[in-house]
Amino acid sequence: MAKGIKDKVAIIGMGCSRFGERWDCGPEELILEAFKEALADAQVAISDIEMAWLGLFYQEQSAGKSALPLAMTLRLPNIPVTRVENMCATGTEALRGAVYAVAAGACDIALAMGVEKLKDTGYAGLPERTKGTFDDLWLPNATAPGAFAQLASAYAARHKLPMQDLKRAMAHISVKSHANGVLNSKAHLRKTITEEDALKAATVAYPLGLLDCCGVSDGAACAIVTSVEKARAMGYKDVVTVKAMQLAPSNGLEMSNTAWDGSYLLTTRAAAKRAYAEAGITDPRREISMMEVHDCFSVTELVVMEDLGISPEGGAIKDVLDGVFDRDGAVPCQVDGGLKCFGHPIGATGLRMAYEMYLQLLGRAGERQVSNPTLGLTHNLGGHPFRNVASVSVFGLHAV
Amino acid sequence: MTYGILSFGAYVPTLRLARSAIAEAVSWAVPGVKGLARGERAVANWDEDAITLAAEAGRDCLRGLPRSAARLQLASTTLPFADRSNSGIVADALRLPGEVATEDLAGSRRGATTALARLGRGGEGSTLLIAADCRETRPGSVQEMNYGHGAAALLFGDGDPIAVVRGAASVHEDMVDQYRAADTDYDYALEERWIREEGYNKLVPAAVRAAAQQAGLELGEVHRFVIPAAASIAKGLAKILKVADDRLADPLIAEVGDCGVAHPLLMLAAALESAVPGEKILVVGFGQGADAVVIETLPRLAELQGTRGPSRYLAQKRPFANYTMFLSLRNRIDIDFGLRSERDNRTSMSAFYRRRKDVSGMLGGRCSACNTLQFPRSQVCVKCTAIDTQTPESLAEMTGRVKSYTEDWLAYTPLPPYIYGNVEFADGANLMLEFTDFAPGAVGVGSEVRLVFRIKDFDTRRHFRRYFWKPAPVLA
Repeated sequence: MAKGIKDKVAIIGMGCSRFGERWDCGPEELILEAFKEALADAQVAISDIEMAWLGLFYQEQSAGKSALPLAMTLRLPNIPVTRVENMCATGTEALRGAVYAVAAGACDIALAMGVEKLKDTGYAGLPERTKGTFDDLWLPNATAPGAFAQLASAYAARHKLPMQDLKRAMAHISVKSHANGVLNSKAHLRKTITEEDALKAATVAYPLGLLDCCGVSDGAACAIVTSVEKARAMGYKDVVTVKAMQLAPSNGLEMSNTAWDGSYLLTTRAAAKRAYAEAGITDPRREISMMEVHDCFSVTELVVMEDLGISPEGGAIKDVLDGVFDRDGAVPCQVDGGLKCFGHPIGATGLRMAYEMYLQLLGRAGERQVSNPTLGLTHNLGGHPFRNVASVSVFGLHAV
Repeated sequence: MTYGILSFGAYVPTLRLARSAIAEAVSWAVPGVKGLARGERAVANWDEDAITLAAEAGRDCLRGLPRSAARLQLASTTLPFADRSNSGIVADALRLPGEVATEDLAGSRRGATTALARLGRGGEGSTLLIAADCRETRPGSVQEMNYGHGAAALLFGDGDPIAVVRGAASVHEDMVDQYRAADTDYDYALEERWIREEGYNKLVPAAVRAAAQQAGLELGEVHRFVIPAAASIAKGLAKILKVADDRLADPLIAEVGDCGVAHPLLMLAAALESAVPGEKILVVGFGQGADAVVIETLPRLAELQGTRGPSRYLAQKRPFANYTMFLSLRNRIDIDFGLRSERDNRTSMSAFYRRRKDVSGMLGGRCSACNTLQFPRSQVCVKCTAIDTQTPESLAEMTGRVKSYTEDWLAYTPLPPYIYGNVEFADGANLMLEFTDFAPGAVGVGSEVRLVFRIKDFDTRRHFRRYFWKPAPVLA
């Protein structure tokens, strides 16, 4: 039986660019902004990095294909660099590559970088891609809000809820994330909103209004990782280690079979179950100190609370309204402002989430600091509810 | 076994534009159209064209019958492809056998009645004749007021017919009452008085009398005259032919409009919905001459009545009174839908070719190991993971149930909002599909839907369009 990744790899440095409409930056500048911070944090030199992973989704209009955007931007000395892409889990995949390489003993120090430059398209929302595959012959030309809006219609139908009850909880989620984002100088949207603002916002895709949707931003985030042994040798005492990294892509069941009713995220449930086993977590609601989940839309966050086993089935609305996920609640969620306030530069998001967990675990989160966190969970959901890639990762403190 | 008409069908689009809305918008320039502003006209949705209209009429005609026609004839003056078998696309949508002979009958408003006359002579084998027209009209024109979009179909073959052709005749005269040049959008029509006096009043009686004679009938024995023309013209002809006005079939102008090549068959289909056995129906086609075909109904007709024909489609309507919406749906004005609408919709023809039957015929796969139905058909069953166990099965005629949906105001569609959602079908099948014909607020979780064959996307850069199936409101 494999032992899993728990406590084998330490994160010794992280960096995160300011997220936003970075008209001033191309992907190269975003990469460097995050990298310089991580390098200073880890107190290593570029020459100490032996392998690197680059997470980038929209290659065509972001930085381009392959490892080259990272290797060339950082002038890496011809070390192995791999570009990964796994939809919205792309940033987490980059970290997983680096973490696994270190755990395997293939190298001592590895870099995981995620970046996305979305705001060069000339319009709001995510870029449209050129069509031309079999899927294009039959699937709707759905937008992300339209695909996720259906979580709300199916969730309300399943639990026989009036849509206004669900909308109220969704509004609370956005209000909470904005309250957190205001405290974060790296967030894109730094403005408090009220429940009324959220409820009255223009409809983007029924029942999602504008303030149920995350922003569209540019950004980069990165991590420098090493083995626990190497960290010890470098003089570290307490480090943030990876406790679990699990991934669950759809196999097509949701989109092809009535076994799925559209009201939950099957892959998130699978990834969470395995992640908890890998991290040795038996009671997630009690054990997990804080979370950064994939709140691309307010309803996603709500549904994910049940999929992660934090809220009971059908209980997320109550938990949300009770403030369980507020910054001073039992399981603070989106403490940094989440996708809601950071936007979602796809390649960077997973690493941006890990960055917040890292800061919090080390007590460096300033005004946003959660008291004495021990375990932080990150979650990504790439694609659409009916076919997606989910990742669940757990980070925690470890004495080396 | 008798050779004759085995079934009939029709289709009228759901969207109906109040003619008063046209008058309100254009009468500042052409006050004369006010006099035509009665009733409503059928308008093809943005995702409908002569091919999709034809496919739906063909389906209506083949309801409950084997999909075994040896030949498909598609008559239209508005076929979207000048070179690509238009009837072939319809044949795949109808899942006709691979060896079906497909014929596009273009270039004449009489295309359908000429084909009907020929089929009536027999010896033509099992043939599905469909007529469909989706004529665009110039803003402010009389045609914009009078035309409608629609389709109708007749199935011919050996069997127990609902009707047989008793006689037919045609006359040809190159009278240019109206024309449309091959590279233009609009019909150019001449003076109505001249067309009536020299055209209808002289050419139609000649054909009608010859057809009646061939059928061995006096005109007084004909129960219904299907004359696709304005009421005043039809009444004038009744006078000339010395038959009573009450024998004129409903011209379907007040609720549909003139559907061009499809109109004689559409009126015939409407007549067949209520005809009793033994009725003689005389069908006229007009345009550079005239066709006349005498049909006699048989007892079997009663068995099909109530299961097909235009009345159910006529009852299912989405009325609107927005003239600019009409113009935009038919691509007459260029609304700024934003940068998102600039998406490049190139079609991979090789990918389409591999899956052409699946896409055009809505063919999923049924797993022989666990009986699960799925779309798309795949090599590994989504439910039991058995390999190479799926046999093709179409979902096109199934009723679906909406599991989740959205009305998306961000996504580009020519008729916002873009409505789409998860729809479940029989035996485990579930698909995310783009909806059509639903007004905002009309879909809910649990709504029942039927599938219709529609344009999926336009590739404006390469002048291509691709087709697929979409959930639409079920027929009452």
